[in-house]
Amino acid sequence: MKGLVFGKYIPIDSIIHKLDPRGKLIGLILMIIAVFIPKSWWAFLVIGLLVLLALILAKVGIKMIVQSFKPMIFMMLFLLVINSLTVKTGDVLFTIASVQVYSDAVFNTLFVIVRLMLMISITTLLTATTKPLDLTLGIEWLLKPLELFKFPTHEVAMMVSIALRFIPTIIEETMRIMDAQKSRGVDFENGSISSKIVSILSLIVPLFSVAFERAYELADAMEARGYVPGAKRTRYHILKFKYYDYIFIFICLATMVFSILTRIYL
Amino acid sequence: MSISFKSLSHIYNKDMPYAHKALDNINLDIKEGSITAIIGETGSGKSTLVEHLNALLLPDEGSLEILDYNIVANQKQKFLKPLRKDVGLVFQFSEYQLFEETVIKDVIFGPLNFGFSQQEAINKSIEALKLVEIDEKYFNVSPLELSGGQKRRVAIAGILACDPKIIVLDEPTAGLDPAGSKQIIDLFVSLNKTLNKTIIIVSHDNEMVYNYCDDTVVLSHGKVVYHGSTLDLFSDQKLIEEFHLLLPQIVQFKNELTENGFKISKEARTIEDIVGEVIKQVKK
Repeated sequence: MKGLVFGKYIPIDSIIHKLDPRGKLIGLILMIIAVFIPKSWWAFLVIGLLVLLALILAKVGIKMIVQSFKPMIFMMLFLLVINSLTVKTGDVLFTIASVQVYSDAVFNTLFVIVRLMLMISITTLLTATTKPLDLTLGIEWLLKPLELFKFPTHEVAMMVSIALRFIPTIIEETMRIMDAQKSRGVDFENGSISSKIVSILSLIVPLFSVAFERAYELADAMEARGYVPGAKRTRYHILKFKYYDYIFIFICLATMVFSILTRIYL
Repeated sequence: MSISFKSLSHIYNKDMPYAHKALDNINLDIKEGSITAIIGETGSGKSTLVEHLNALLLPDEGSLEILDYNIVANQKQKFLKPLRKDVGLVFQFSEYQLFEETVIKDVIFGPLNFGFSQQEAINKSIEALKLVEIDEKYFNVSPLELSGGQKRRVAIAGILACDPKIIVLDEPTAGLDPAGSKQIIDLFVSLNKTLNKTIIIVSHDNEMVYNYCDDTVVLSHGKVVYHGSTLDLFSDQKLIEEFHLLLPQIVQFKNELTENGFKISKEARTIEDIVGEVIKQVKK
């Protein structure tokens, strides 16, 4: 669980942390479009540099981002093998065990890999610099137009924010129960399959009972504080766009336009 | 054979932008056969310290000698299981670790993991359940149907059944009523007296610490700031102020008696001790 970087908020102070979550969400959407459109290395170079700049500004550390790539290595290798076997255009680069590897196969794979790496960097950047609760506020705001169709935006946002809020709690609880069972001689890493099943059971059963207990307690607490689903609610923190949010969105928009233009003209 | 921390440090989230040194160069010897309390403010490193005792956490610097085991920073440890058998750790809110269908099945879970034979495990478990005063009629009931205090005692029985030499308790009485708390503390005091088990208790409850613990360790910001006799600690006004300790009622009472001209010895721990001494002085 210690290697779990993806989706973790890093509580430090930086310009990127200060940006409005709604702006960051819009930025995320624009940048993802920008990453998936182009077919030229120039566009990737520009996007890559921008992402790198944002990473440096956010002070989250390049090491952390590199760590979040690790789970992808297997997928990348798999992709390379499949592409090498199926794509047969371009020049023959080399031959392994009577399979001819064409240049397009390698380039296609590289494209996909670069896109994925950029996308992971961007999303990790968002989650690392935005508090989960701010993120749900942003999502709620973005979903606002759906209210026209009677979509319960507030309730959905509340559910999402409760779910997000309890992820760290549940992880903490999991670690604690794991520690308690380790003290009773459970070995979560080694052992036969049957003993592994028992060790997992010794974790899951208490976890479920704790989760249910917490859910009841939370429901009681919300009711005690007068929460009524669907009621009109006001907010203590009101999100406000500042000049730097507009600059940020403008940069993201410009990047997207640039990458569309490279697709058309390059 | 004792417990001895040697320049031990532990750092959480090492290599992350928000790394935090939870234990800072701890040097500490805990006497075998003693009841030692570990106190300190929230976040002072108490839980981190006790989790080293059965290698749930490993030191980042320094080492820890415990019984015949030696845990050194940055070395692969091979004796985790025997160590965890010998050092029983009772967690805060330990009732959450119960998972089996019946009480007895849950208690034999630990001993079986540590390689006891089925019969031995059952014998040890029945013994442990008797120690924590769980009635035989509950043995085949689901642990989830018991009351909070009973669950806690079953969880403790699950540790005792493994027959540990050292028992570590992290806030064993948190969330229990006074009667339930006393029952649990009395149990550990008697285990200490009759079977000479070393008991280490992390606690916020200075009343309990004062009444039962021979020695006290005070932690502050990951450092040991006091280690010595509990009686000495609570009779030293300067230390009490320095560590912002909440005075146990007994000590307050003793202080008031002293102010009013009675001479109460430092060793007087319980209300009976104090009354005895007062009676003697009045009779003179």
